[in-house]
Amino acid sequence: MLAHPTPVIVPETDEDLDLDKPWQVVVWNDPVNTMTYVVYVFRKLFGYDEPKATELMLQVHHEGRATVSDGPREKAELDCFRLQNHGLWATIEQ
Amino acid sequence: MSHFTTVNGNVEVRLGPEERLFLGDVLPLLAGIGSQGSDPAADRLKVPVYLDDPEANEEWWRLMGSELDAGRRSDRAVFEKAISSEGPVTLTNAEADAVLRVLNEARLALGARFGIDVEEDHDELPEDSRQVLDYLGWIQEELTLELMRAL
Repeated sequence: MLAHPTPVIVPETDEDLDLDKPWQVVVWNDPVNTMTYVVYVFRKLFGYDEPKATELMLQVHHEGRATVSDGPREKAELDCFRLQNHGLWATIEQ
Repeated sequence: MSHFTTVNGNVEVRLGPEERLFLGDVLPLLAGIGSQGSDPAADRLKVPVYLDDPEANEEWWRLMGSELDAGRRSDRAVFEKAISSEGPVTLTNAEADAVLRVLNEARLALGARFGIDVEEDHDELPEDSRQVLDYLGWIQEELTLELMRAL
């Protein structure tokens, strides 16, 4: 046991930044995008099978939003880009 | 009969003369988005991606916006090819996907300009506006189903 323990320096933390917490990509309901198209995009971009893609589409439709992917911030930003590129309204949140 | 048929992994497009004429109007429509002041279509195609962080949103659009624009321009060039002749015009799967994105983009742009905020607004549109959206929606649905078969 150390008689004089080395003081531990606690780094200042940014409460908004949690490195371990994954970023989420959220798709929002849209009055123009069709159900078939949204299912197609989810299947194509994320490789979801039809039941999973349909479940997410229906969640968007009925609840107004659904988290469709998550992970590190870089992945979330790229997934968001791919969704925006297909005209879906996608946002990123942590 | 669908306008789109998968043959040997490619998608054959068949459009009548009137349809090609009508779909030809999509390109100037999309090219003109945002060129004249306030435009709901431009707003719809540039939605915020960080709802609570304007700085992060601005940074995302700074990094990704030009790439998104370039992708849309490239998609429109493929669309132009798809409607260039009575055909059939043969598209690769990736090209057919580009045509699908353009059809969707056109519907999003028109929907925004027509003031569609909720799905029920569609039924209240003047008949000619509704017909334009419905025709594009019909073509888009056909192509989506055809591409879905290849997944």
